[in-house]
Amino acid sequence: MKKLMLVILVIFGILVLNSLAMSADKVTLQFMGWEASPFETSITEQSLEQFMKENPDIKVEYTPVSGEYPAKLLTMIAGDAAPDVFFIASDSYRSFQKRGVLLNLTEYFNKEMDIDEFIPLAQDKMLINGEIYGVSSCDVSPVLFYNKKLFDEAGLPYPPNDPEKAWPWDKFVDVAKQLTVKKNGKTVQYGVSGFTIEWVSAFSAMVKSNGGRVFNEDYTELLLDSPEAKEALVEIKNLQRVYGVSPLVIANVQQGGISSTQMLQTGRLAMLVDGSWTLQQLAEMDFPLGIGVLPKFKEPVTIGQAHLYSAWIKTKHPDEAWKLIKFVSSREYQTKLVRTGIWLPNRMDMYEEENLANWMNPDVYPDDFGNMVKYFTNYAELWVAVKVPSEAWSIINEELGNFFVTDQSIDTVISRMKKRVDPILNK
Amino acid sequence: MYSDYFWAALFLLPNLLGFLVFILGPVIASFGLSFTSWDLLTPIKWAGLENYKTLISDQVFWKVFWNTIYFTVGTVPVGIILSLFLAIALNQKIKGIKIFRAVYFLPVISSTVAVAIVWQWLYNPEFGLLNYLLNLVGIDGPNWLAGITWAMPAVIIASVWRGIGFNMLLFLAGLQGIPETYYEAAKIDGANWWVLFKNITIPLLSPTTFFVVVISIINSFQVFDQIYVMTGGGPARSTSVLVHYLYQNAFQYFKMGYASAIGYVLFFLVFTVTLIQLKRAKNWVFY
Repeated sequence: MKKLMLVILVIFGILVLNSLAMSADKVTLQFMGWEASPFETSITEQSLEQFMKENPDIKVEYTPVSGEYPAKLLTMIAGDAAPDVFFIASDSYRSFQKRGVLLNLTEYFNKEMDIDEFIPLAQDKMLINGEIYGVSSCDVSPVLFYNKKLFDEAGLPYPPNDPEKAWPWDKFVDVAKQLTVKKNGKTVQYGVSGFTIEWVSAFSAMVKSNGGRVFNEDYTELLLDSPEAKEALVEIKNLQRVYGVSPLVIANVQQGGISSTQMLQTGRLAMLVDGSWTLQQLAEMDFPLGIGVLPKFKEPVTIGQAHLYSAWIKTKHPDEAWKLIKFVSSREYQTKLVRTGIWLPNRMDMYEEENLANWMNPDVYPDDFGNMVKYFTNYAELWVAVKVPSEAWSIINEELGNFFVTDQSIDTVISRMKKRVDPILNK
Repeated sequence: MYSDYFWAALFLLPNLLGFLVFILGPVIASFGLSFTSWDLLTPIKWAGLENYKTLISDQVFWKVFWNTIYFTVGTVPVGIILSLFLAIALNQKIKGIKIFRAVYFLPVISSTVAVAIVWQWLYNPEFGLLNYLLNLVGIDGPNWLAGITWAMPAVIIASVWRGIGFNMLLFLAGLQGIPETYYEAAKIDGANWWVLFKNITIPLLSPTTFFVVVISIINSFQVFDQIYVMTGGGPARSTSVLVHYLYQNAFQYFKMGYASAIGYVLFFLVFTVTLIQLKRAKNWVFY
């Protein structure tokens, strides 16, 4: 009896020691991101399975968050319980880095990646004083979606997708007018919508297109009071107020019920300015969809941004965290999601002719989308919200809301906006 | 063995601990925080009365303050009157009355997001049901949630709709506590429904009414999630309320100290209003 007990104890001891040793080798990384769609989450989880196969000593636990992500990330870091690797929105990146909670990835990055492989706006986004605290995930940019059927019915040419052939504003308004149909005094079909939507920020592209700027070079002054900037903003307002080609929309919250994408699909809207991510949804909606570049005032311009992958400065496994970051920001990983239309590539070489077929899924992207790729590499600027405090951007959107929706003049609104924003930019 | 006090304390302990850790503790902490400048990520810095001074000259603070008052004035009186009449109507002993009560209570327990989505559709200026119906009677419907003038009224209407069921339930309980004998006696003396209502129902319902008024005012001062989901505080902050601004300062602008100060101003506001009501209660509440 005693001998049996001894044997059992020894076996037990070996098993315990063994599992201790095994778990000592295995590193568990907490990875947190937001869930843009259940589909995206399932692709992410599959890709992470592959990462774990390639790195048997690393286990990744992924937590997708739906709801207020910045608040959650902030409180987790404040509570000393942050994930090891996480998504960080492009307009939170600098505020978090400033407060010293992101791991400095510069050494890792310079050893294994090259900043010049990224498209210019992604480089601008990632580099803070020449250092890297997060790696870009992809790119998203506002584009012009349109319903081909409405154009065919009206006998109008499709909007161009080559930025060098972008429509001048007047021509664009003219086309929008021809695509706006009224019946019994009520508009049943609108020409265009989406220029005032806050998270698309098309206004900043139009301001730049007209030769103006939202901020000065070092982001210490609001420059929307220039005549060029004011002209662009007034024209956007005119779309709804004067030309009647745009519906009045709620600009700052996801519209429930009747969304712009549904209006595009059902022929109530001919053109929609929206983020490129909407392509995933639109491609599944079974109507003849076209994608073009935004109209221009003087130069064709769009903006771009996307979340980055960062690591917590207090992570216990910085080397493994970097491995995960490198994996999720890789070409292979993003291609899976780019193929669905929800992301655009962020590497220069992915936009080269011979590599387009890797991600240009014919079920999602139009055949001639190749004409449009230079829009994102050569004509896209980093979203200006990325480099200013959240409070300042909030005021800008609030005052723009005032301008687009009431009868207040551009001069009144902009001078008030500047008085409120400049002090915050200079704190 | 252990005394009764011991057992009482033991059974109260879980709730008490929860209260201390999750309510009293944070309340005291945020009082302290309101005198600091803290971004949650770097060490706390002492700021004295800075936050309160800034608050007084902050135009956004005053805007959201008045928006909150607007919301309260819009939802509380109307909501209480409607829910009282609803309760009286549904206090009858007809078959199937319980179904009606459930139906009116449904909005209270519905998901905030679902309610927001449906009302956003109803309120759509071009294609929504509300403007369609108004059009049928020849009225050109306003821009509702998409315009500045009608956004808050739109939110108020949706909130009243949402909250009636709850107060109705409280009034129902109060009504059922009034003995039938009073009504019978008065009817024998020839009283009509208005006399019954004014001289029996209202006075004997007053404890419930008092409770409903106090709770409704407190809740409407603290409204946040239904507005946040439906309008995000827009357009141009026309529907932004105190708690919304507080939330933005705490979690988006990295100003936890300032947010705590806003929270305490809200606290004093609610406290003062409630105190006034308690003092005045003697005049109209009968037990």
